Amino acid sequence: MDETARLIRLMHGKRQNITIESFEDGVLALLPRLRRFAAGLARDPAEGDDLCQATLARALDRRALWQPGTRLDSWMYRIMRNVWIDEQRSRKRRSETFVAEEAGALVGSGGGQEERVALGDIDRALRLLPDEQREAVLLVMVEGYSYKEAAEIVGCPVGTLNSRLVRGRDALLAKLGDAG
Amino acid sequence: MTITREELAAFADGELDPARHAEVAAAVAADPALADEVRAHRALRDRLTAHFTPILDAPLPDELTSQLRSRDRQVVDFTAARNKLQQRESPQRYRRRWIVGTAVAASLALAVFLPRGSGNGHVDGALADALDQQLIATQSPDLPHRILLSFQDESGTYCRVFSSPERSGIACREPEGWRLRATGAGAKAPEAEYRMAGNAAADVLQKAQDMAAGPGFTAEEERAARARGWR
Repeated sequence: MDETARLIRLMHGKRQNITIESFEDGVLALLPRLRRFAAGLARDPAEGDDLCQATLARALDRRALWQPGTRLDSWMYRIMRNVWIDEQRSRKRRSETFVAEEAGALVGSGGGQEERVALGDIDRALRLLPDEQREAVLLVMVEGYSYKEAAEIVGCPVGTLNSRLVRGRDALLAKLGDAG
Repeated sequence: MTITREELAAFADGELDPARHAEVAAAVAADPALADEVRAHRALRDRLTAHFTPILDAPLPDELTSQLRSRDRQVVDFTAARNKLQQRESPQRYRRRWIVGTAVAASLALAVFLPRGSGNGHVDGALADALDQQLIATQSPDLPHRILLSFQDESGTYCRVFSSPERSGIACREPEGWRLRATGAGAKAPEAEYRMAGNAAADVLQKAQDMAAGPGFTAEEERAARARGWR
């Protein structure tokens, strides 16, 4: 196995290898934050890790498109939200096909319901937000991005980001109450 | 002075330009209702941050870190991947499916089936010899063809993943001889395609992973298979 791994590395060439390693180290360092964003975006930590995994796969596939010297974190967050959107779309498309199987799985495992009961207030309130408001809230209020940075990740004007953020926030405050 | 809800939130976030910030600050200081709203915005931020922070300190799942340690090693770590796949026969299978889908789609994009040239994909010459004779454990690095992996597909047919400067691929030993099942780029593609070439070999390995009925052969199993003529 080591022999094979060594060969594959050789095929990448030395110079290439250095780029790949620093890229992967960079992503590895971002991983805790990416998991945090994924847990919020996907509304569930386990689902979030699935999203993370798909995001990493896509990022590794497209690492040729990342320009060294530009911000890797924004690039990764952008990929993650795109993967999430794609997944939402395809899930919608095949929901009729898979809904029975999924429901069956939940009944079979018996774990689904407890999980849902254990959801905290914040999780529940966040779940109810439309995706575009939830991502704005998460990017600014949890990930700590400026409006401008968050707008760049989402790919919308700053004003749009700002108004989604406010709508999301208002909905959260209404659900959670003002008490901190 | 009118302060929009957007402005008030932006004020709470420190996002207003200095001039406007000063104006809103004055209004907030003069109006307890506004001050309450600003407090609520900040409290919400603190609450959300506190809610998600534990994830930052949680241990990272191996699934994710191994993906990054080396993508190639992950693909090549055939036995582990295969075992994992089998463990997935659980109620959670559905949830995982879309990830597998992504990975497979990516691999198929680069693996080209049945290459140009002699129509039926039969292999002869130096490659056939390499497939017949070379063992991963003992092959010399100077040989033109490298064997990367040997396995059996669902029908029990012996298959081997190979790589050469010109191309990589999967060949399976059928009754008439070795036949190509998939090909990808070689190790020495032109400079511009260098990255592509490396990925193509990884993609061929991923394809092998999908074809294989069990783990990749150990050196022992490979030697035994050669002794039986790969049949």
